[in-house]
Amino acid sequence: MTAAPRPTTVGEAGSVGKGRTLPAGAADTAPGPGKRSWRGTFGGEALSGYLFVAPAVVLFAVMGLYTVGYGFLLSFASWNGFMPHWTWVGLDNYADLLWRSPIYAPRVRSAGLNTLWVMIAVPVLTVMVSFPLAVLLNRARRMQAVLRSVFFLPYVTSGIAVFFAWQYILQPDGAVNLLLGQLGLGSLQQPQGWLGNPDTALPTLIVVTVWSAVPVSMLLYLTGLQTIDRSLLEAAELDGAGWWRTNASVVWPLLRPITAIVVLLNLRDSLQGFQTFLVMTNGGPGDHTNVLGLEAYSLAFLKQLRPTLGLASALGWLLFAAALVLALINLRALRSKT
Amino acid sequence: MRIPFARNVRLVALAATTALTLTTLSACGGSSDSGGDSTSLEMWTFKQSHVGALRAAAEEFKKETGITVKIEAYTPDDAYTTKLQSSAKTGNLPDVLEVHSDGEDFVLGAAGVAADLQDEIPDSWSGRFQEAIKGSGTVTAQKFKESQAKDSTFKGVEQDQRFSVPLTAGTFGIVYANKRKLADAGITEAPATWEEFLDAVEATHHKDPKTGGISLGLKVKSTGLTWVLQPLAFAQLGKQAYWDLFGKDKATDFGSANGTKVLSMYDEITPYWMPGSQSLTIDEADQAFAQGKSAFAVGGTFTLAFLQQNGMKADDVLAFGLPAPKGGAVPDRALGPLALTGLSLTATSEQPENAKKWMEFLSGTDVAANFAKASADLPATELGADSAKVLGPALTSMMESFEGTEETTYDPSLNDFRPPGYDQDVAGEILTDLSPLGRETPAQTGAKLRGLNSDYWATQ
Repeated sequence: MTAAPRPTTVGEAGSVGKGRTLPAGAADTAPGPGKRSWRGTFGGEALSGYLFVAPAVVLFAVMGLYTVGYGFLLSFASWNGFMPHWTWVGLDNYADLLWRSPIYAPRVRSAGLNTLWVMIAVPVLTVMVSFPLAVLLNRARRMQAVLRSVFFLPYVTSGIAVFFAWQYILQPDGAVNLLLGQLGLGSLQQPQGWLGNPDTALPTLIVVTVWSAVPVSMLLYLTGLQTIDRSLLEAAELDGAGWWRTNASVVWPLLRPITAIVVLLNLRDSLQGFQTFLVMTNGGPGDHTNVLGLEAYSLAFLKQLRPTLGLASALGWLLFAAALVLALINLRALRSKT
Repeated sequence: MRIPFARNVRLVALAATTALTLTTLSACGGSSDSGGDSTSLEMWTFKQSHVGALRAAAEEFKKETGITVKIEAYTPDDAYTTKLQSSAKTGNLPDVLEVHSDGEDFVLGAAGVAADLQDEIPDSWSGRFQEAIKGSGTVTAQKFKESQAKDSTFKGVEQDQRFSVPLTAGTFGIVYANKRKLADAGITEAPATWEEFLDAVEATHHKDPKTGGISLGLKVKSTGLTWVLQPLAFAQLGKQAYWDLFGKDKATDFGSANGTKVLSMYDEITPYWMPGSQSLTIDEADQAFAQGKSAFAVGGTFTLAFLQQNGMKADDVLAFGLPAPKGGAVPDRALGPLALTGLSLTATSEQPENAKKWMEFLSGTDVAANFAKASADLPATELGADSAKVLGPALTSMMESFEGTEETTYDPSLNDFRPPGYDQDVAGEILTDLSPLGRETPAQTGAKLRGLNSDYWATQ
């Protein structure tokens, strides 16, 4: 806490439309319009301000701009992470990934198709689960905080360990098959495990991804629900709308911006995320659960030191471009409907 | 009016922020901390099972020379590679690295990370190694030719350069059988042929369909191909016909009758995989075997150490090389030994002489014998007449599978018959659809493998 007096803003009139912040008592000594001195710009207050900002700027320059720039340049090169020099290949990496290479292009297409399924299923299922859950939680009269914590648990505990735990649950002798057997639903058991059958592996991974995405989405919906004016809900009730109709026709439309955010976040995660897939299946069995994020990781680190880091970087930039397009579409949709 | 205290607080805050930032940034750089101390070395390994043995050797080395060696392990292999990449960039490498022989060492050498040991290994040192692997780590004429390929990972090396000396030896395609499960199924001897092996698996599987099968970490995609199919195909077809499977000639490649024949043989084990093998890593599959969830496990000579770490005793298992088919071209096929891991000296080591002393120390007969006992791994050093006593029956029986002629020995280190840049993982993915998934027939799988090989040849 500082003991210094609050600053006052001066110079609204005639200061090229921009107010300058000066300490109280300094206004009378401040240079007038057009008289901004070097000392005013770089000395004293300004200098300490710049110095305060400098660490963040330096950190961003080193950790952000440098790495982003480095990665972008790498996408035009061939390198294995060890060789002293990069080999410049121009746009070859992009061409190889998109259509030219008989080795890489088909893999990218196949991974792209799997990614598309994930991008469709995860946002839809997440909304389908988290919205009703938030509505029910919002109505809970007792233990709301406890329930909220319980439902938030998957997010707090998410990580490699949880994915390993899921793996054990989904094994041939894991809890899911055991439970199905106990319930007399043996025909639904997966003898090769839920991750060992190509028909169930991708849907299972989608379910696990949704499980870890629901908590944040539910909290977002819950926040939205608590900002809805109660008078609107009461008006709907007075007009004879039941619980279902109120939620479908009043609450759901009002929470459309939240839905847009939830969808956008999950689309981005589905497009770029790969941890679940790496830990639980490594894209297998075979290549049946390979996704684009995992393919990029694999090109970077799992190619036995082949010079494929440039390809990995190019794929990363393609994913970035796709994410940007999705964000713009989402933003546009959000603007037009709210 | 200003209160001086506020200014002081601000300055202190500024200084603290700047200091923190500089600390953070300085953490991004740095160099190996072993460099400053002339009696301290650092060595990294990717084999957890080697750590104890190396540390024990380091204690002996310190007693002899006064030089301390700090051993650090980074596992699994992928994490180790990433660690090497980042440390090479930041100049933070140790003095000595354990590396995958005749592959990773060349990559490191080409990149200037590993020092060239070409004239540094006298005969008195290299003569200690087993004859078949004494030159391991050297860029032979064949390896130099491989380095010239477009996608070679070690482009830039020169012939006769040497980037490692061998530490451990061994091979892939070693089958481990649970003796108790074999006895329960009425089997007392190791199967001598592929057919007998299938009969044995059928017997243990019949006894207990859930825990009587074969475990193999098929989540690591190339294992089925490199540890089972390839040695099997070599034995069935003979060396040249096996090489031709990967060639350009459609009459003899994987899509041919020969390809269908060996893929059909591989497919014979499909009913006997341990449930869920396709979702297990190599370690998980070996753990499953150690826990009694399968009767057989396929691995390498190095697997025994891991099984022991997981509670199995060497006496609990019967180990033998993957048997050859009775009517095949090479019924007495041997599994060629190769240097599995080696020691590389980093080019940035500030104590290369001390580091070389340590590397040479590890190749000593007594040290290697102790290393073998402690790690349950085969050392690269020739142990002489006492080897059976030192290694124990399990490792000794594995070494018996090495005995063969040049024509009858399957050598997993040879690669020049494959298209340059060939990725075994992609081929392994195709093979998984045949076995264990059963989604493709042998002929369909052969056609896909032919397509893959053609694509690789076409990109050259």
